[in-house]
Amino acid sequence: MTRINKQKPGKIVKPGEDFEPWESHNPVPLPVIWIAVALGIWGTALLLQEQDSKVVAQAEREAGEAAAHDAAEGGAALFLANCSTCHQPNGAGVRLAVPPLQDSEFAKAGPGVVAQILLRGIDGPIRVKGFTYDGHMPSFAEALDDAEVAQLASYVGARFGGGETVLAPAEVAQLRMTHSGSGSWQGGAELASLVADLPPQPPMPATAEAGLDPAISDLIFAGKGDVWSCASCHGGLGQGAENTPRLAGLSQGYITKQLHDFRQGERHNEHMSFVAKGLDDAEIDGLAAYYAGLRVDSTAQPALGGDLARGEQIALQGDWGLGVPACFSCHGPSGFGVGAEFPALAAQQPAYVASQLAAWAGGHRNNSPLGLMDRISEALPEADRRAVSDYLASLPAVPAPEPQAMARIEGGEDEL
Amino acid sequence: MNRYLPLVLIALGILAFATLMLVIAPGVQIAQHAVPKGLNPYSEQESRGREQYVSLGCVYCHSQQPRSPDQAPDVERGWGRPSVAGDYVFDQPHQLGTMRTGPDLLNVGVRLPSESWHLTHLYQPRAIFGWSIMPAYPYLFEEKAEAGPEDTVVVLPKGFGPESGVVVARQAALDLTAYLLALDRTYPVPEDALRDDGYADRESGS
Amino acid sequence: MSSEHHDDAGQGRSAKRLIFAAGGGLALVAIGALMLEAGWVPGWISGRAPAPDVAESAYFQPPSEAEIPDGPFGEAVKRGRDIFMNTSTNAGDYVGNGLTCANCHLDGGRQPMSAPMWAAYGRYPMYRAKNDQINTMEDRVMGCFTFSMNAQHSVAGGPPPHGSDIYRDLESYFYWLATGAPTNVLMEGSGFGKVAKTELGYSPERGEQVFAANCAVCHGPDGQGQTDANGRIVFPPLWGPNSYNWGAGMARIDTAAAFVKNNMPLSQPGKLTDQEAWDVAAYIDSHERPKDARQGEMTVEQTRQRFHDGDETYYGQQVNGALLGVGTPGPERPVGAPELPIGPTPLE
Repeated sequence: MTRINKQKPGKIVKPGEDFEPWESHNPVPLPVIWIAVALGIWGTALLLQEQDSKVVAQAEREAGEAAAHDAAEGGAALFLANCSTCHQPNGAGVRLAVPPLQDSEFAKAGPGVVAQILLRGIDGPIRVKGFTYDGHMPSFAEALDDAEVAQLASYVGARFGGGETVLAPAEVAQLRMTHSGSGSWQGGAELASLVADLPPQPPMPATAEAGLDPAISDLIFAGKGDVWSCASCHGGLGQGAENTPRLAGLSQGYITKQLHDFRQGERHNEHMSFVAKGLDDAEIDGLAAYYAGLRVDSTAQPALGGDLARGEQIALQGDWGLGVPACFSCHGPSGFGVGAEFPALAAQQPAYVASQLAAWAGGHRNNSPLGLMDRISEALPEADRRAVSDYLASLPAVPAPEPQAMARIEGGEDEL
Repeated sequence: MNRYLPLVLIALGILAFATLMLVIAPGVQIAQHAVPKGLNPYSEQESRGREQYVSLGCVYCHSQQPRSPDQAPDVERGWGRPSVAGDYVFDQPHQLGTMRTGPDLLNVGVRLPSESWHLTHLYQPRAIFGWSIMPAYPYLFEEKAEAGPEDTVVVLPKGFGPESGVVVARQAALDLTAYLLALDRTYPVPEDALRDDGYADRESGS
Repeated sequence: MSSEHHDDAGQGRSAKRLIFAAGGGLALVAIGALMLEAGWVPGWISGRAPAPDVAESAYFQPPSEAEIPDGPFGEAVKRGRDIFMNTSTNAGDYVGNGLTCANCHLDGGRQPMSAPMWAAYGRYPMYRAKNDQINTMEDRVMGCFTFSMNAQHSVAGGPPPHGSDIYRDLESYFYWLATGAPTNVLMEGSGFGKVAKTELGYSPERGEQVFAANCAVCHGPDGQGQTDANGRIVFPPLWGPNSYNWGAGMARIDTAAAFVKNNMPLSQPGKLTDQEAWDVAAYIDSHERPKDARQGEMTVEQTRQRFHDGDETYYGQQVNGALLGVGTPGPERPVGAPELPIGPTPLE
């Protein structure tokens, strides 16, 4: 900066009285400039890339919306995604367990009937093509929107019933209004009012209208002594939220076992051990029976950013490369649950499923029989755990496995 | 050192540039975020509870910012999805926090939706978690011989309550609980709030 | 002049520096990009997950479902797959129990060491000592229907007749699974594998304990499997009227032991020791099940001499005071036959 005192670099100058410091011309080292230039280029490239991914995402969204509007394609895809795990890809059902759709009286009755069954689900014996089935079908009212129900019903009516009627989303909206809050169809007997010329249907078995024991009702809605009420966390109808699990439709045996495990310290969760320690065996049985008999629409939504296609693959086929069998090979087709050891998974809250899988993998939960879930959770990478949790949340809620225990509580709604 | 004017001009220029890039531009960017669908403003009681939250210094131990799965396993802890700027539009000042001595609370209202649980826990955390290091806040409650019709009685296990009588919540405890129960950011993220339009995020999920 | 010269030289130097700087920067970017592409950058810097190692498994990899071709052949493959996965429905007239092919051939006939179809397809036609003749794939599958699917109690009363489309569809599925597999080679992972004999031999008494500890949680304490709410079989029955009959390969203890050792409990193959596998297989195969479909008019002893001599089996032996091989009682109506109509019959 100071020109007057400019001296040739290298020449040694003894500091004198009138010494002024100076700065020689030292260029910035080239490597530093290289790095600076490289960082600049990198940053620009990143900025451009981000712009690019926005464009790609926009294009993907538009393509996705366009695909959703393609009715014929959509119907087949919806059928594969929602119906085929039970009714099979060819609509033949499963002998003595799941009624066939192919040429069934109900598919022939047209998409209107199919849509009404989809919206409400079935709980009760039903006779299809000469066989009686112990019908438990979930309601798809929450899992599918009007357009999807319309597409799916039209597809089922056309492919399996041979009809040509196409249902409009507006008609589905109308049906949804009509049937809102009606619960499930009580077997073929109730459906007979919907379909003309139906062969005789088995009568609905008489269910004892067992009102809820007031002591159990108090536990659920008011709590007792030093125990909070179940509903204050799990919701009045056991629908759960975030990592508070859904209880509605879990089997009685499973709930009982978990409460016992909490009480004995086999399963770790401070809130629940606190609660379970205040419960006696009769209360546990009563609570388990109540929640097992509840049929409540799903409140779960995929929320963890998981890849739903990957989740579906794990749930339906497993990943044998990782040594992970399909979830549904033990938890039952469509995740309805099997017995006391394999709980229902469908419509479970995704944050809860992900946190439990993480707990198993990390050794914080270890009450799974044979350590089955410990091994499987360890094998699943974190992204897969989120993927499968999100996929399960996208499924319709299980039908009540033990309808004789079905009981609805007045006033339970306001806990929702 | 005799050219003061250019020096001052350059200094002011640098200051102005920094203000533009560090204050004004982010301000404009943040102001573009709409209020997410599903996020409600705090009610009067919840706002009072929020003041309690601030004055009790909850922020020194509890964050309000779940992080993305790439950074921390917050999703698997059940703390909720990674937060976005829009989640904080009603928070002045925000309570992001920097310490996690306790769990993140941005979604505690969904995770622990029970009012009576929170009252127990605020009165004496050790009643629920024997190992908890959270301070108790007994002064938000009072002991009474008998609960009045308007009182909210705190559920307490034996050994944690008074010898006789009941513990009821003061208004401050009820307000704070109302605020905690209102902490809910489980609605879906608005698409424009995500970096890369959510594209990179979706890719890494596969 | 000299100062101009000096300035020119300075400009030249800064131009040179500019070129060096830009060139070096570009070179750095290029090197970095190359390293990233070559995968030399550790994942924690690049933020990329390591590419899954597809060729990790030493076993043959059959094609995935998404690769089923369109057209008539693809349709046949899909029909074959549906029969394989859900035999009691899609070949219902010929299935006299509650099993499907995929109960023992896990993962839809893909899983190594659970008799994968990609390994079996290229081996047929093959000589088999079981019937002392050359067997085509159709003969072999017919044997499956006869014994493992217990066709004698089905609506048809026997396996699908030769030439049935059921065989054609199943073989289309197997052929497709074996895309790219060698023929006439004993492939790694074929069959159920083998379990070495143990010093102690096998014992159903020890096996009972192994069963209770490892199997009962899924297959039920009584071995009859479990169903979901709709009555659909999720865990197959291991003995009794709804299981495979005495003529099935799985009724031989060595076969069952190999299957158990290499596949069970599901997701934890190899968990049981060789001894436990032998014992639990002996326990499972020491229960009564439907009679051998080849018995006909013969006595159990004659059948044993003719078909089971030298086998590791309890067929024709006394276990717990009862002769095994007599068979569980036949069903009242063939399994899966249409039900009687509901309501008043014309007679009433």
